[in-house]
Amino acid sequence: MPDNEVTYLDAVSQALMAEMQADEAVFLIGEDVGQFGGAFKVTKGFLEKFGERRVVDTPIAESGFTGLAAGAALNGLRPVVEYQFADFISTAWDQITNVIARHHYRTGNAMPITFRCPFGARLRAGPTHSQSIESYFAHTPGLKIVAPATVEDAAGLLRSAIRDNNPVLYLESKYLYRRIKTPGPLTLDPVPIGKARIARPGDRLTLISYAASVHQALEAAEVLAGDGISIEVIDLRTLVPLDFDTIRASVEKTGRAVVLHEAPRRLGYGAEITAEISERCFWHLDQPVTRIGALNTPIPTSPPLEDAMLPSTAQVIDTVRRVATS
Amino acid sequence: MPDRDLSIRIFEVMALHRAVEDRMVSMYRQGEMLGSVYTGHWHEAIAVGTAAALRPDDFLCPIHRDLGAHLWRGMPPWQVMASFLGKATSPTGGRDGTLHYGRLDLNIYNLPSHIPDNYPVAIGGAFAFKYRGEDRVALAYCGDGSTSRGDFHEAVNIAAVLDLPCVFVVENNQFAYSTPLRLQSRTDFATKAVAYGIPGEKVDGTDVTAVYEAAARAVGRARAGQGPSLIECVTMRMHGHAEHDPADYVPRELFDQWKVKDPLDVAAGQLIAAGYATDQEITGMREDARRQAIEARKKALSDPMPVPDREEERVYA
Repeated sequence: MPDNEVTYLDAVSQALMAEMQADEAVFLIGEDVGQFGGAFKVTKGFLEKFGERRVVDTPIAESGFTGLAAGAALNGLRPVVEYQFADFISTAWDQITNVIARHHYRTGNAMPITFRCPFGARLRAGPTHSQSIESYFAHTPGLKIVAPATVEDAAGLLRSAIRDNNPVLYLESKYLYRRIKTPGPLTLDPVPIGKARIARPGDRLTLISYAASVHQALEAAEVLAGDGISIEVIDLRTLVPLDFDTIRASVEKTGRAVVLHEAPRRLGYGAEITAEISERCFWHLDQPVTRIGALNTPIPTSPPLEDAMLPSTAQVIDTVRRVATS
Repeated sequence: MPDRDLSIRIFEVMALHRAVEDRMVSMYRQGEMLGSVYTGHWHEAIAVGTAAALRPDDFLCPIHRDLGAHLWRGMPPWQVMASFLGKATSPTGGRDGTLHYGRLDLNIYNLPSHIPDNYPVAIGGAFAFKYRGEDRVALAYCGDGSTSRGDFHEAVNIAAVLDLPCVFVVENNQFAYSTPLRLQSRTDFATKAVAYGIPGEKVDGTDVTAVYEAAARAVGRARAGQGPSLIECVTMRMHGHAEHDPADYVPRELFDQWKVKDPLDVAAGQLIAAGYATDQEITGMREDARRQAIEARKKALSDPMPVPDREEERVYA
């Protein structure tokens, strides 16, 4: 890789560093984030630069350090909490839902915490290192959820998350970490939370996705363009709060919508988006809104099994073609 | 023993703790409350003795037995009642209620029902103080039952390894709802401190002087940068888990045994022995507390209920 190229992982790292440099109240806490530089090396060099005070290695105690973040946030700090894998956030569930998410509604006090969650499948990491956690938390009022798909957004959404006065789940795609890159240097401009992006304009069907699946959606759209089928791809960027205006404008134009994600289909975030479109854009629809998600199984480890569980690009192309041409 | 003024102030707040809760029990019996009422009879010495050992800028993370800790910081009794009534004037405006009335402007955390979720939150306060080089400390309470949850272990352990200025108070009141001590732990709670490598101390939780002095030692260590401590305060829950619970599972002789250890009587005895107050003055202070509780009820009952107003817009800061 040429020196001037920046990966998705670099973007996360650079945005975090920029925020820590800009604001003394920002600190990083988690397992192996300091001297080891994080399981994925996002925070390599941070300990040397900021010291043990601001780069805090903890015991293996997700609930404990998540609650610590809550208490620190109530006392003037802006914690960035790293879960080594998003899967491990389950052990902090109570602190996030009962302590943190509800706090502002209950009391009016701000809870500025960013949760960094390396998430998602396709790395042969198996049932408890590959999960998509967004639907568990999207159902809990009080949390914001962002899921960047591009290098620029990985940086920009992290900066906005850290500056936000609410708890934000920042879902970073570990599949994209080193797979996508862009010519540097990055501007690191903050990207507003709650604004979706048209990743590819089109007029026949709206294909809605987020995080790594956006790239699969773009691949499918490119193939279908070759067949004269024009697909508009929406990259949600933020799941909560949902930018429904962008979805509505697109669906009113195309009259057809497909939602794609790699989380299991049943009650995946696509169910919510589908219901919203059906309720609010019904008279503009030419076809039922359709979901593409993973099988309703745990995520298997072995490549043939994992590939069969997750949406394949061929399956996306087939489904989108069917809905677009029916 | 604290000096005269402090000792008198401690007794006044303990008396108010008792009087406000007695009044709330009668409000419950009259059907005025939204739900149940959780009282801290025989916990007054723990709540007030520990709070009195702190500065107003220290971070306090109390539970439902610790009304006196809130009162010590200046929480008006009517506002506590307003919380149990779901009134607009409660600290949460009725968004939360009953025992969830902690006010951050008094440096008191408003905890959810999942005790000891307040333990990790407390160490976060302690972390922030150390981070900024301030000499403030955090103090959290939990019961014997909550020591069995993972958050107890995770918080005390993190505080120990990060050397945070935090004091952990375990209110050992013999029962967690209906579950007796023998089903909770094979050791006492002060002993657990040994495993974390921090000081642990066990005191008579009905003796406010003993509690205050143990808390002052622990707070002093934390403030001096010597890390966390654990204090086990032994008392008895002299009622059910809440007012709806007749506590039939408690052997009656246990109540009889503890009945003679009323923390207010213990404290009054200490004031008289030290020459800080007369019998008559003690009676006067208790009567004054009773009158404050009566006035508090009147205001709380007459306060307005909340009006739903763009509730979804209140979820985010």
